Amino acid sequence: MILDAFQRDAVTEVLNIAIGHAASALNEMVEDEVGLSVPFIDFMAREQAVARLQQDSGPGTLAIAVKQQFEGPFGGDALLIFPEHKSLDLVRSIMGEHVPLQSLTELEQEALMEVGNVLLNASLGSMANQLGSRIETSLPVYLRGDGSAILETGADALNRDDVVMFLHVDFELKRRDIHGYVAFVMDVDSANSFRDLVDASVARALATIH
Amino acid sequence: MGVKRVLIVDDSRVSRLMTRSIVAKLLPDAEVFEAADGAEGIAAAAERPCDFMLIDVNMPGMDGFECSGILRRAHPGAVISLLTANIQETTQQKAEALGVGFIAKPVKEEKLAGFFGLEVAPQ
Repeated sequence: MILDAFQRDAVTEVLNIAIGHAASALNEMVEDEVGLSVPFIDFMAREQAVARLQQDSGPGTLAIAVKQQFEGPFGGDALLIFPEHKSLDLVRSIMGEHVPLQSLTELEQEALMEVGNVLLNASLGSMANQLGSRIETSLPVYLRGDGSAILETGADALNRDDVVMFLHVDFELKRRDIHGYVAFVMDVDSANSFRDLVDASVARALATIH
Repeated sequence: MGVKRVLIVDDSRVSRLMTRSIVAKLLPDAEVFEAADGAEGIAAAAERPCDFMLIDVNMPGMDGFECSGILRRAHPGAVISLLTANIQETTQQKAEALGVGFIAKPVKEEKLAGFFGLEVAPQ
């Protein structure tokens, strides 16, 4: 599947708005400015997507991921990923006023899952709203490891050569120096459906202008 | 205003903790009850009818829509709202059809103040 320049621009804009909703939710949670990168969109073998995740996490760096599967007219995996050594800082910045410091470590994993749940649903919900669709999401799953451990869980491990659409945006909490990223991975059939919905959405928008 | 009862139904312990913390700030005298899933929430409300109920959507077992529908019918006088990360318009439409409110996570003091019919001073 190939996106022409206009479609790539339209998909990027849908993703920009979706991640903007996630950034707004994160900003509400941490009361810190959230910086976002330009979305990265590419098609690659699942194995290359794994390599890309490893590269983004930093060589030899363990990452924490919260993963949710989504299903609807298009489906795949949504991931919130950040370096393991920053995870407690992130939890502290979100929950500091609600729980005593000594409880933070105990709650760390559950807190990160809830952060992932809020951010990933904000993104996916925005995509669904923009495209006039409905998406169902699974409960969040907590993962720890390198890119391979994060992306190749369950049935995915069997399909290393499959081409996937990889959508990726970096975020940064400016005052706290915490970086992470949100990624969406879709197989080709889903990516085709996603592209068709984006096309239809653009056509609707243009029809209202003319 | 007498002592109010508040029920929080959410499978995330962290989310319940954060919501409870804000409820305690806004309604210091309230009795707060927690349930980790829909069935537990319905049982808790049957045992101790609550004035306010906050229901997550995406939970294992019974989802928040079904739970809210049952609670709405069983407790017509209660103020009930979904409290969810699922911001889809279809979710908000379902909430309206069920006769319950909709509050988007993350939970914040001003959002719950509105739910409780309180006014908060600007930050």
